[in-house]
Amino acid sequence: MGETSLQIAPLIEIGSVVITSTVVTTWTIMIIILLFTWLLSRRLSLEPGPVQTAVEGIVSAIYEAIAAVEPQHARRIMPFVGSLWLYLLIANLTGLIPGAHSPTRDLSATAALAFLVFLSTHWFGIRIQGLGNYLRHYIMPSPILLPFHLISEITRTVALAVRLFGNMMSLEMAALLILLVAGFLAPVPILMLHIIEALVQAYIFGMLALIYIAGGIQSRQPPEQEKE
Amino acid sequence: MELSWSTFILEAINFLVLVWILKRFLYKPVLDVIERRKAGIEKIQADARALNAEAEKSQQLYESRLADWSKERQQARDTLQQELEAERARGMNALHLELEQEREKARVVAAARETSALHLAQETALRQAALFATRLLDATAGPETQARLVDLVITDLSQLPAERIEAIRSSYGQTPEVIVTSAAFALDDDQRERLEAAMRELTGLDIPVHFEIDSELLAGVRITVGAWILACNLKDELEGMAVIAHAQ
Repeated sequence: MGETSLQIAPLIEIGSVVITSTVVTTWTIMIIILLFTWLLSRRLSLEPGPVQTAVEGIVSAIYEAIAAVEPQHARRIMPFVGSLWLYLLIANLTGLIPGAHSPTRDLSATAALAFLVFLSTHWFGIRIQGLGNYLRHYIMPSPILLPFHLISEITRTVALAVRLFGNMMSLEMAALLILLVAGFLAPVPILMLHIIEALVQAYIFGMLALIYIAGGIQSRQPPEQEKE
Repeated sequence: MELSWSTFILEAINFLVLVWILKRFLYKPVLDVIERRKAGIEKIQADARALNAEAEKSQQLYESRLADWSKERQQARDTLQQELEAERARGMNALHLELEQEREKARVVAAARETSALHLAQETALRQAALFATRLLDATAGPETQARLVDLVITDLSQLPAERIEAIRSSYGQTPEVIVTSAAFALDDDQRERLEAAMRELTGLDIPVHFEIDSELLAGVRITVGAWILACNLKDELEGMAVIAHAQ
């Protein structure tokens, strides 16, 4: 595609809108997911086949992981967090396809996801607790902690974006460097590591997002409710 | 490592669209299917629990009925046992009674046989005694014995009370025409005269007296006045003794 691991070359420019390979790859992933889920949703039955069984297992595992952290609102936050896990898993593994690049090696993509996590934390917190109760947690237990809360909101979002971007970009760059230095088949162990890293990073990103959202929801709840 | 705002915004929009897609076509339908399946399983479990409860209730009812039936069976068995005991007791009593009756009957029969045998023996003895007496008197009887018997008749007739004499006279029936006197041996004249006098005095009739010889009388006389007979001889006495013995 005529791009290095650090530079994302634009494919199409329409005025000020630049379409890069990251966006195209994301659209491709979305189309594949749309086709698969659309076909699946038309063939769902109470007596599942192998594919439906596997999909139900994945969905159940996602739901149970979210319910373990936030049991009261698992159904509400599941679409966002579950989509993060599924999208990041597929996006991270896309880098294994020859000629394709993972969208998560683009800082713009990871920053967008981190920004959505930042927004969703406040969205769910305000929707569930109300604006006043949610904002009050920034001055709890003392108003002195307000700056630290604000700094934490920014830094953790930046860390979320940079962590994923750095790991995925470094993996692809390492594979590229080994390929250049050692030749064909030498990067295979690095690609194996890529698979594990893709799974781990998707899990970490989604789990951190879940924890941030759950923290925003539970920030003003009484202790006995938190125990539940 | 540049931040492209176009990519940033497009990626954000892309992800929000992806969230909608997954929510619309994956999470909601799959979770609905899982919940419907769970509901179906819970319904089956509820039905199974209801069936189980019903089965347990039926089992309890059956066990209760079985216990009642067992109790009734035991009561019926006890009642039957009591009835059998009573019936056996009644049977034993009836058997004892019948046995006692049989024993009494056997005892009576034995006594009757013994009495009959005794009577037979007595009769035989009397008959033998009569036969012996008949043979003895036949061998020893003679005119002297007959004379003493004639004297005894004359003496007894002369000593009869008046009411006895009247009874004898009323037993004749019609007035006889003759008085028949049978004797084992021939009577002499004196004996004939005294007998005629005694008979006329007894009967008060003046009718002839015929004298006959009947050796079977052994000794003595037999006087026949109409329907009235006076026996004073050994044969009639012996036969009278035999008849009396037989009647006893």
